[in-house]
Amino acid sequence: MRQRLPLLVFLALLVLGPAILPEFYITLLNYIGLYAIVTLGLVLLTGVGGLMSFGQAAFVGLGAYTTAYLSTAHAVSPWLALLVGLAITAVVALFLGFLTLRLSGHYLPLGTIAWGISLYFLFGNLDFLGGHTGLTSIPVLGLFGYELNTGREFYYLIWAVLLAAVLATQSLLDSREGRAIRALKGGSLMAESMGVNTARSKTVIFLIAALFACVSGWLYAHLQRFVNPTPFGLHIGIEYLFMAVVGGVVHVWGAIVGAGVITVLKQWLQDLLPRLLGQSGNFEAIVFGILMIFVLQRMRDGIWPLLLRLVPVKAARRREIAQAEPLPQRQLPAIGTLLLEVKGASKHFGGLIANNNMDLTVKAGEVMALIGPNGAGKSTMFNCISGVDPVTSGEVRFLGERVDHLRSREIARRGMGRTFQHVRLLPTMSVLENVALGAHLRGSKGVLAASLHLERAEEARLLAEARRQLERVGLGDCLFDEAGSLPLGQQRVLEIARALCVDPCLLLLDEPAAGLRYMEKQALADLLRKLRGEGMGILLVEHDMDFVMGLADRVVVMEFGEKISEGLPEEVQRDPVVLEAYLGGVE
Amino acid sequence: MNLQIALLLGQDGIVNGAIYALLALALVLVFAVTRVIYIPQGEFVSYGALTLAAFQTGRTPGTLWFLLAAGAVVAAIDIVIAVRAGALGRIGRIVLWNLALPAIVAGLVFWLESDKLPLAIQVVLTLAIVVPLGPMVYRLAFQPVAEASVLVLLIVSVAVHTAMVGLGLLFFGAEGSRTPPFSEAQFQLGGLVVNGQTLWVLGASAVLIVALYVFFERTLYGKALRATAINRVGARLMGISSTMAGKLSFTLAAGIGAFSGILIAPITTIYYDTGFLIGLKGFVAGIIGGLASYPLAAAGAILVGLLESFSSFWASAFKEVIVFTLIIPVLLWRSLTSHHVEEEE
Amino acid sequence: MRTKTLFAALLSAGAVSLAHADITVGVTVSATGPAASLGIPEKNTVALMPATIGGEKVNYIVLDDGSDTTTAVKNVRKLTSEDKVDIILGSSTTPVSLAMIDPVAEAQTPMISMAAGAAIVEPVDAKKHWVFKTPQNDLQMATAIVEHMNNHGIKSVAFIGFADAYGEGWWQQFSKVAEARKIKVVANERYARTDTSVTGQVLKMMSANPDAVLVAGAGTPSALPQKALKEKGYKGVMYQTHGVANNDFLRVCGKDCEGTYLPAGPVLVAAQLPDSNPVKKSALEYINKYEKAHGPGSVSTFGAHGWDSGVLLAHAAPVALKKAKPGTKEFRAALRDALEGLKEVYGAHGVFSMSPTDHLGLDQRARVMVKIENGKWVLQK
Repeated sequence: MRQRLPLLVFLALLVLGPAILPEFYITLLNYIGLYAIVTLGLVLLTGVGGLMSFGQAAFVGLGAYTTAYLSTAHAVSPWLALLVGLAITAVVALFLGFLTLRLSGHYLPLGTIAWGISLYFLFGNLDFLGGHTGLTSIPVLGLFGYELNTGREFYYLIWAVLLAAVLATQSLLDSREGRAIRALKGGSLMAESMGVNTARSKTVIFLIAALFACVSGWLYAHLQRFVNPTPFGLHIGIEYLFMAVVGGVVHVWGAIVGAGVITVLKQWLQDLLPRLLGQSGNFEAIVFGILMIFVLQRMRDGIWPLLLRLVPVKAARRREIAQAEPLPQRQLPAIGTLLLEVKGASKHFGGLIANNNMDLTVKAGEVMALIGPNGAGKSTMFNCISGVDPVTSGEVRFLGERVDHLRSREIARRGMGRTFQHVRLLPTMSVLENVALGAHLRGSKGVLAASLHLERAEEARLLAEARRQLERVGLGDCLFDEAGSLPLGQQRVLEIARALCVDPCLLLLDEPAAGLRYMEKQALADLLRKLRGEGMGILLVEHDMDFVMGLADRVVVMEFGEKISEGLPEEVQRDPVVLEAYLGGVE
Repeated sequence: MNLQIALLLGQDGIVNGAIYALLALALVLVFAVTRVIYIPQGEFVSYGALTLAAFQTGRTPGTLWFLLAAGAVVAAIDIVIAVRAGALGRIGRIVLWNLALPAIVAGLVFWLESDKLPLAIQVVLTLAIVVPLGPMVYRLAFQPVAEASVLVLLIVSVAVHTAMVGLGLLFFGAEGSRTPPFSEAQFQLGGLVVNGQTLWVLGASAVLIVALYVFFERTLYGKALRATAINRVGARLMGISSTMAGKLSFTLAAGIGAFSGILIAPITTIYYDTGFLIGLKGFVAGIIGGLASYPLAAAGAILVGLLESFSSFWASAFKEVIVFTLIIPVLLWRSLTSHHVEEEE
Repeated sequence: MRTKTLFAALLSAGAVSLAHADITVGVTVSATGPAASLGIPEKNTVALMPATIGGEKVNYIVLDDGSDTTTAVKNVRKLTSEDKVDIILGSSTTPVSLAMIDPVAEAQTPMISMAAGAAIVEPVDAKKHWVFKTPQNDLQMATAIVEHMNNHGIKSVAFIGFADAYGEGWWQQFSKVAEARKIKVVANERYARTDTSVTGQVLKMMSANPDAVLVAGAGTPSALPQKALKEKGYKGVMYQTHGVANNDFLRVCGKDCEGTYLPAGPVLVAAQLPDSNPVKKSALEYINKYEKAHGPGSVSTFGAHGWDSGVLLAHAAPVALKKAKPGTKEFRAALRDALEGLKEVYGAHGVFSMSPTDHLGLDQRARVMVKIENGKWVLQK
């Protein structure tokens, strides 16, 4: 209960606000609310998802113009206009998202600038939207037959919408879909390997951000009762991003803080500067800019994290994981079944041949080790098998099915789990949630259910599964630590737990023992033996020869992208070609 | 449309494109070295043009006061740091660059009657005022957050832009200015009248681009910048200070910006807030080059210039709509062809 | 902490001065942003407005709206709810002024706009009941241009205007009048204030071969199309709008603007008006005051619109003072009534005679045709 105290105080203040605050403060709070709704979308899109957008103001414009046009020209009810606006925004956002979300790197922000500007000028040049001059006499909003005439009445609507949006966003982020969204920032490669459809996740947050903006625009139009293009231009789009960053771009509540701080600061400057510097100049923009540089230099993560530190209650790290019914498990193939078969696989990067004509098999219930000097092409082979970077030629069969041109998330769905040579996890997310990401494909509840927290039963099962796997690999004590705070060796073990959460029948482990101490290696070896005993197939890349030779059933040795030897560990160790590769390479 | 018109539009597009190309080069340079998406780049264009215009009407440009003030602040901060670190030897250089040089420039401006000077001297004075602002802006705004994320750097960049536009309005007022052309000559070129100033713009852009190329390929500082652009940590290990690289790139960017402003001020009117849109077009070009490739950025710049000039002929009210909508497929194409597997951190 | 006390001290200082104040005037103008060239002289003009009216002290609270409608509405709400102003002057552009109508009507506070769009005051309905404006309607100015064209044998004209509300308003009015008076409009082009090139638009217009070209822009940016036309060898007649009427325009346009015609408020050529013209004296009064404060040649017609709003206030407030005390709802209503009842008030731009259906009140005396000769504004008779 104590954790909820600040929130309850905040809510109480919000409800009491209009009763005690002077009129103009309500006006300011209304604008803060409107801005915060848009900024919240940006927190989700940019802060959490890592997709930078300058174009949110254009979506605000879509919402505002739809209702302005429909309610003035066709006397449509504003509430119906809201639905139409949302529909139009959704269509436009899906189309723009389809075009621009496939843009990589810096092309994306520029793409958003491009359509942001295009839409802005379109608003200004369409006569039926009032051109640059704008549309006047937008009707007052009615709610249950009651007209929202004044700012005080509107205040409750705006903040109710905002709070609903904040809570829905928070719920969404704390769910299976939310983990997929948060995984976007760690790069799509890992997320896809865990079965996340990253293109879909990107589209989802783009759409949500656009819809939030649209709602804000709809409210704006009826509060202002006038629209023209200026509030929907690129400058304002940049300003929303500004608010998000100043507030704390990865924090949902940062949206409100950012919108609040910027709005109030501008107001103060407008009041204060003429008194200090006289009426003649226009110093507001200058002082505002300089102040913001200063703020960002002192708190580059925004203001919200700073506020959190002021609150006496520690944020809830630990929480109960409800006892839940275990998730259904895949029936593992009988021991000895051929799981993976690689035939004549080659991988070229331009002129560079990384893998040449590789053959490889892994059976259920065996540990197959892939060894070779640095740069031999082992990790490339892993990427080919797991669909991260498909083969140039040759074939990869998994459970008898050709998978060489499937996406990595499709291969994961078929029961292949993997870890990465360079650890890929989300350092600020908890250990438990990182591992739960692996179970992504074992849940099915969607975004809407997550936003309303209607998927708690499924979520509990997923988290319970994650905890089970963490306990299995020996990380049961640090479920709620930040993943980035673990030593590197344990981060690797975390990746194993995550791969196990996929419920695989084949496990691809890329140097799992690197960075582990002797005892930890022993424990890992025991775990792998146990998995093998249960019928799991394991393909292992490892440099620690003692570890490999004590564990592997069969070994394949690679050099310069080719297989140079294959056999039982002791055979391979005696193979002169292998000795040459490992020892003779030294000049 | 006939051939004559097409040629004229083409000429116009290329001239504008040349300016965008210069700005794109500066933006690519700054981004590659410091990861800053340098929105205030455009402000240097305005500052350059309007400072020169102020000289020509015999006024003291407000940028001079800005230079003196910024220099004083930089010097104060750096001297405090130097004293705390016990590195008193640094103070001489700090005073020279941030206090003495601006003071000398100010002395020259007050001593000489700027409106009676030949154009070339005015240009030199203008550059002497505006270019040092580049490294000072870097020192004050960006150096303290040099290691922050691209997003934070971008937002700092927006804040600098806001402040500099505000200062521009304060210094130069809301109305625009033009400066007299470097050359009044006109040439007949196959039925096409070409102005001397047009040739100046094209020639100077070309020279500047070649000079930059030589700088990057042949000089130690140029190579140091390239090294930093390719691998920041590696460059630092090799003794290339990222602060030095940052300041140097901002100096070059300021120089390119101010000089671009001086080049176009005779062919168009420049306002305190002209810079943003010009800078944005330069940014578009830079992005087409992937913020990495100089020749592609230059080609992108010419493309943007041509798109603008032809669309303003066909449907002037929808010019920006056309330009920015057509940019999207180009971006798509660039994004798909420059496919890269995710970097390992 | 220190800044907080400073802030509080300043606030209380402000509160003290308000307590003694009698008439409170709220001003919101576009002193920054795209319309800054309009807003800055308007803001400067406020400082020249009378410090007392009818024996009562007047307090002016000047806010900048950055040419942005949202900020302007915020300003209005602040002025009406926090500062309890008796009247609002502003803002500088048509869209921003339109956005202010709803909040001023809600607060039952009279407002005098400094923007040209007729839609700000027409038709006078329940909301615009509270709204007045000082600049001539675009229609009035457009008619002057078309008449001039008719008289000088011009049959076809090309139009190029700002890609904003100013250019749009002019296009709507001008194309209507031109069509009615049998002048063919052969091109309709747009450009942005900060565009660096208008070659495309200029070539398009020239290929239509018009007798004349009308540029609808404000301030120095209007010089760009004209200079480009001259450079490409256009020989026809050039028209500009009253938006260009400041000396910066002449400075930037230079010899390329010789022979250009434009309609303007009489303030632009006040010294050349015959002494019999009633506007001469009031216009010169403004010019003298402004140039005394900001140097010779600094005056602009935009500032004069602001001045006129002050003139209207100065004439209406004494009437309202007889009915109610400033700071009350009754005073605001009385002030509005007094504004509507003004007759034959001489401003810098003309003579205002308001009525319940006309909240502008200017007549033909509010416009003259001006030609640019030898880098000067010359009154055409």
